[in-house]
Amino acid sequence: MGFVSVILGFCGFGVGISTGMVLGYYLFIHFQPCDVKDPVIRPLVEQDSQSLLRLLPEIPLWVKNPDYDRIDWLNKFLEVMWPYLDKAICKTAKNIATPIIAEQIPKYKIESVEFESLTLGSLPPTFQGMKVYLTEEKELIMEPSLKWAGNPNVTIALRAFGLKATVQVVDLQVFAQPRITLKPLVPSFPCFAKILVSLMEKPHVDFGLKLAGADLMSIPGLYQFVQELIKDQVANMYLWPKTLEVEILDPTKAMKKPVGILHVKVLRALKLRKKDLLGASDPYVKLKLTETKAPSKKTTVKHKNLNPEWNEEFSMVVKDPQTQALELHVYDWEQIGKHEKMGMNVVPLKELPPDEPKTLTLDLLKTMDPNDVQNDKMRGQIVVELTYKPFKEEDLPKEIENSSAVQKAPEGTPPGGGVLVVTVHEAQDVEGKHHTNPYVRIIFRGEERKTKQIKKNRDPRWAEEFTFMLEEPPLKDKLHVEVLSTSTRIGLLHPKETLGYVDISLADVVSNKRINEKFHLIDSKNGRIQIELQWQTS
Amino acid sequence: MGLISGIVMGMLFGIGLMAGWKHMMEYRNKKRLAKAVDVKLLSSLSREDIKKICGETFPCWISFPVYEQVKWLNKQLNKLWPFIADAAEAIIKESVEPLLEDYRPPGISSLKFSELSLGNVAPKIEGIRVQSLKEGQITMDIDLRWGGDPSIILAVGAAVVASIPIQLKDLQVFTVVRAIFQLADEIPCISAVVVALLAEPKPRIDYTLKAVGGSLTAIPGLSDMIDDTVTSIVTDMLQWPHRIVVPIGGIPVDTSDLELKPVGKLTVTVIKASGLKNMELIGKSDPYVVLHVRPLFKVRTKVIDNNLNPVWNETFELIAEDKETQSLIFEVFDEDIGDDKKLGTVKLPLIDLQPDVSKEMELRLLPALDMLKIKDKKDRGTLAIKVFYHEFNKEEQSAAFEEEKRMVEAKKKLKEQGVVGSTIEAVDSAASAVGSGIGAGASIVGSGLGAVGTGLGAVGSGISRTGRFIGRTITRQSGLTRGSVSNIQVTEENGTAKLHSM
Repeated sequence: MGFVSVILGFCGFGVGISTGMVLGYYLFIHFQPCDVKDPVIRPLVEQDSQSLLRLLPEIPLWVKNPDYDRIDWLNKFLEVMWPYLDKAICKTAKNIATPIIAEQIPKYKIESVEFESLTLGSLPPTFQGMKVYLTEEKELIMEPSLKWAGNPNVTIALRAFGLKATVQVVDLQVFAQPRITLKPLVPSFPCFAKILVSLMEKPHVDFGLKLAGADLMSIPGLYQFVQELIKDQVANMYLWPKTLEVEILDPTKAMKKPVGILHVKVLRALKLRKKDLLGASDPYVKLKLTETKAPSKKTTVKHKNLNPEWNEEFSMVVKDPQTQALELHVYDWEQIGKHEKMGMNVVPLKELPPDEPKTLTLDLLKTMDPNDVQNDKMRGQIVVELTYKPFKEEDLPKEIENSSAVQKAPEGTPPGGGVLVVTVHEAQDVEGKHHTNPYVRIIFRGEERKTKQIKKNRDPRWAEEFTFMLEEPPLKDKLHVEVLSTSTRIGLLHPKETLGYVDISLADVVSNKRINEKFHLIDSKNGRIQIELQWQTS
Repeated sequence: MGLISGIVMGMLFGIGLMAGWKHMMEYRNKKRLAKAVDVKLLSSLSREDIKKICGETFPCWISFPVYEQVKWLNKQLNKLWPFIADAAEAIIKESVEPLLEDYRPPGISSLKFSELSLGNVAPKIEGIRVQSLKEGQITMDIDLRWGGDPSIILAVGAAVVASIPIQLKDLQVFTVVRAIFQLADEIPCISAVVVALLAEPKPRIDYTLKAVGGSLTAIPGLSDMIDDTVTSIVTDMLQWPHRIVVPIGGIPVDTSDLELKPVGKLTVTVIKASGLKNMELIGKSDPYVVLHVRPLFKVRTKVIDNNLNPVWNETFELIAEDKETQSLIFEVFDEDIGDDKKLGTVKLPLIDLQPDVSKEMELRLLPALDMLKIKDKKDRGTLAIKVFYHEFNKEEQSAAFEEEKRMVEAKKKLKEQGVVGSTIEAVDSAASAVGSGIGAGASIVGSGLGAVGTGLGAVGSGISRTGRFIGRTITRQSGLTRGSVSNIQVTEENGTAKLHSM
């Protein structure tokens, strides 16, 4: 009897618990308001010491650490912009989610899924400090301390089998310290090609998840579990050294790397106009690609000839076939005085079929202005054969992929040996007593190389590269780097000056493969020079 | 029995569980909210806040200037600068060259960059201030300082010489840039950016000019002309209330609210001047008055010969765009062979004027508007004027806006045809009559000079030179350059010409 009563008691307990829970749910939870209110924010000065104590662990990094900078102006900016951002983001999210939902629901026999409310709340993300790192590489590194303790309210209503269930996400809090690296830096706007984001520490994530009004996250244990799960998931993807990569520019385009070669064969010109008073003209052709700094190429001069045959070949490096054009100028050579223009024309490269020789007969014009009346005059014609050969994919230099990685030595390097690549980047605070027109001389095993001279500059930038082919690793050698200045004036006084020098032992380079460092110059007050050394082996 | 007690116990337990859950929910909700409030508070701290938090251990590396320091941004900018400089050069060249063309002073036939590199000293951002002065707008003031080493070489073509390379050296720019972001409801949330230089503190753009391979004195007045061009570009394009509006990101937004629009019309009568300074050795000054609100729209009075107390009684109409910050500027010049000398100048801030009330006043002339560096406190006479300010209503405003647009267009066209070479040349109808009068006068002088020139050329040297002289005479007869300027050219071309023209 007693046994049965115990069994019944247990059964009753089971039934009771469920009824009790349902009752309790209706009593306590169901009638709770589900909407999210804006928190009341009192100024800090009015707060008591109790709440100040609570504040202490959250003190921004810029208050605590001198190497963090305050960016409250950005916070202010975000604060004003936040209502607009909120609307824009929510609208976009809805627009993206709606078709996906519409596609998915028939599979699960759900009637409808819709956003009952979608707002990111009134509290914007804040930046509690910003730290930047300076390296010698072509990159910018920033570490903002991002804290978003918002009050968003995302309510999704599910309808299935005539029932309605709501899932609500509230009070999302994300604290993270991402490292944002912009690299490589390129000389066209926005001046960087990629954004790399990675997290330095596991982020702190907290939120409330309400299922039919009851917050699942406040079930003891569950919250910790979910939080760990999310942290690990995020960490798996983005915790340093894993990164999220966003490409902004195509680095090959941005770097303006060569993408092909244009072969030009200047065949002949016809019926050129006479320019010289005595005898016929002495024509020659000048070739130039637009948007390059390379010097123009010239044919030989055909004396006293108005129908000259050159049959000369030239090749030019093409960086952007879409915008570049070939400029042809015919000049009349003169013994004395200025060479007179006889006519010109321009061929845009995009009109050329790749890998196909094309012979063009061009009218010579005075200018490229179509309205110019002077173009009506006959100036003769020029015949050229053009072949544009784009590089094949595999020919393209791969180093852009990872500019800091050491390249393979080119073919023909002796086994066991390699190539030493010295890049002279820039110098700072070099100063001569009488003049500062610095250039760099590097001496390696008696071989001497020089950079260009930069006039009147204390912080010159050269960015010049020199290579030395070696039979064996230069373990015991040193590289002598010297900054020199010569006077621009011709005079006997102080023709040449040494602004400083440094000897770099190359053993480190061999073991490290690559070193990029600023060296302090000897015999200079404060001068530094940035030298990149690479040891490339086959 | 067991069943009932079980049910009751179970129910109590269930309700208790739920109550506990609810309590937990509330607790966590409160905690999260408190944290959100804390984070919000800590996102913008003031000095007092930090004092309250830190108490005695106030960290000494923190300061709170009006313009917040951005050391990190400067570090990044320094590093990025060579790349920005490379990328910006082409853009600057493209966008500034037409501007130079628009504001090109008479006497210079072309003004182009022959070399432009921004150097390797990055600008420094002294500070940034963000305010929200108007609903839906963010105002960001950037205190910018650039003591750079750019290499800018202008190819200046005067009528005589083909092109003189002129180098701009030691460029220094100290200014506060105001950027106003117009917010919108769509990503990227900014529909337009308005950029301007704040008028207060006054933008400082310093540079020295140097002719490459020669000296600037070869063309007298050239450096003044370039200075003038730069100043008018800066004050008329960039300095608040003038601004550049850049629409962003494909959101079709009406930016007309952001643009500078005419708000009122000034009817100014220049009555007379008295007690002007005598600038001439023989006789007395030949004064005339140039007045403007925007340097682009300058108008001038007739020249009254040999008079230190001239009476003009001429009336002009000028458009005002921003009553709060704009001023009406009068400059009194002495017409002279060669450069016209400034007799004095005076500024009348528009904010002092009452709308629709005619006011007569006498203004004291000053040697220059910026009195900071000027020692000369001598009396330069007074200028009597009458001003009437009329504030536009909606229709008048749009009409005036259209009119202004049309005027700018017309002027551009005229300039293309080479009829008006100067920004000073008359703009509105009343003034244009005066302008053409002067033009005619000048053209007589000019053609006379030209005749001397041709004569000289023929006597002087070579056929080609004569050709050039003749060419110049023709341009002069179209009445564009003022006599003074053409005279400079003659002086420049041939030393002996000076004797003839003086």
